[in-house]
Amino acid sequence: MRNIIYIFFLIGTLASAQVKMSQAEAEDLKLKVKSQAATIHTLQSDFIQYKHLDFLANDIETSGKLVFKSPDIVKWEYTEPFNYSVLFKDKTLFINNEGNKSDLDVGSSDLFKQLNGLIVNSIKGDMFDEDQFTITYFKDTSNSVVHSVSKDEKFSKYIKAFHITFNAEGEVIELKMIEPTDDYTRIIFSNRTVNTPIADAVFAH
Amino acid sequence: MRYLLISCLCLLFTACASYPKKNNFQERDTSEKEISLPYFSSEAKDYVYKANIEVYGNTLSGLFIVKKLGESNHRIVFTTEMGKTIFDFSFLNNVFTVNYIIDDIDKSILINILKRDFQVLIQEKFPVIASYESEDGIIYETVLGKRTYYYSKTKLEDKIVYTRNGKEKIRFLFSDVNGMISNKISILHTAIKLEINLKTFN
Repeated sequence: MRNIIYIFFLIGTLASAQVKMSQAEAEDLKLKVKSQAATIHTLQSDFIQYKHLDFLANDIETSGKLVFKSPDIVKWEYTEPFNYSVLFKDKTLFINNEGNKSDLDVGSSDLFKQLNGLIVNSIKGDMFDEDQFTITYFKDTSNSVVHSVSKDEKFSKYIKAFHITFNAEGEVIELKMIEPTDDYTRIIFSNRTVNTPIADAVFAH
Repeated sequence: MRYLLISCLCLLFTACASYPKKNNFQERDTSEKEISLPYFSSEAKDYVYKANIEVYGNTLSGLFIVKKLGESNHRIVFTTEMGKTIFDFSFLNNVFTVNYIIDDIDKSILINILKRDFQVLIQEKFPVIASYESEDGIIYETVLGKRTYYYSKTKLEDKIVYTRNGKEKIRFLFSDVNGMISNKISILHTAIKLEINLKTFN
């Protein structure tokens, strides 16, 4: 009997690790993140990415640096265990795959516009577009976790949901992209610096 | 006119000749019963490759992941470097299942080509039907499904060739081999513009 009580207690504790926010708390978070995001002109951060596939023994780990410049230039640069970068700039996707360069005009793709908008806004933390997404807000110890599910069926078939974790200061510390198959990619940010000048060469292709 | 007829007949004859005949392979007595290809045979290992897929002038790059989940049970997933899954296939007791594929490439012709290619990749044992002597060593004739393949091995690489009308159509190369791991794998199509190149990165 005592064991059963312990188990219930444990389940209760686990379940309460992430609690849904009240309307007022969600509004507070939005306000904090938006005001914080509005001050960002440039952002640089290291990241570690874990690709999780249920059937693998270990997640696939890659890492690199993220560079963002307002309003919408983003560069993901992977340096370990291979060199690969993708630059979103002028409605074009510039890829440098271990020295092989290519570009892709994605200006006419609605899906891409939505994806890029989501990436930019999630880096800045400003992703509360309730016209496009169904958004749910959670508390998790001192952090906040925001779950976004696209209302667009086509987009949902591509990415099922985004979970973004903010620290107490309203900065993005983790991004999780969940696939329609429930496998996911988790990106953890560290060494974040904001509004330091970034040389144009960083965004040259 | 007679020469034209003879030329046409010659052309017809050579066009119909088998791959071994065309290449002057000499049939030999075969003692070997099967060929082993161990490169995706360990259930303990997560096989992860950096992949470049070139299809009709477009390059798709990403991570190519293979996992053996049990006997005759493999999962093959291709994702972009940023983690987005492009396709996710299962092979279980010769039953092929598409678990996921992005809409843009959800075409049955392409899926069938990939299915056949990957079936060769994960096949661990091939029955030997015949064997031949060639300048480059011994060539083994084998069959998978309804298709005939030719296997050969040098110090540098394992090669499997699929032919039609005596002509090479697909070439599978396993090179930079270290124990049971092939660090470089290529699937090269000659009939269509498709090339899949895989290499390890850890």
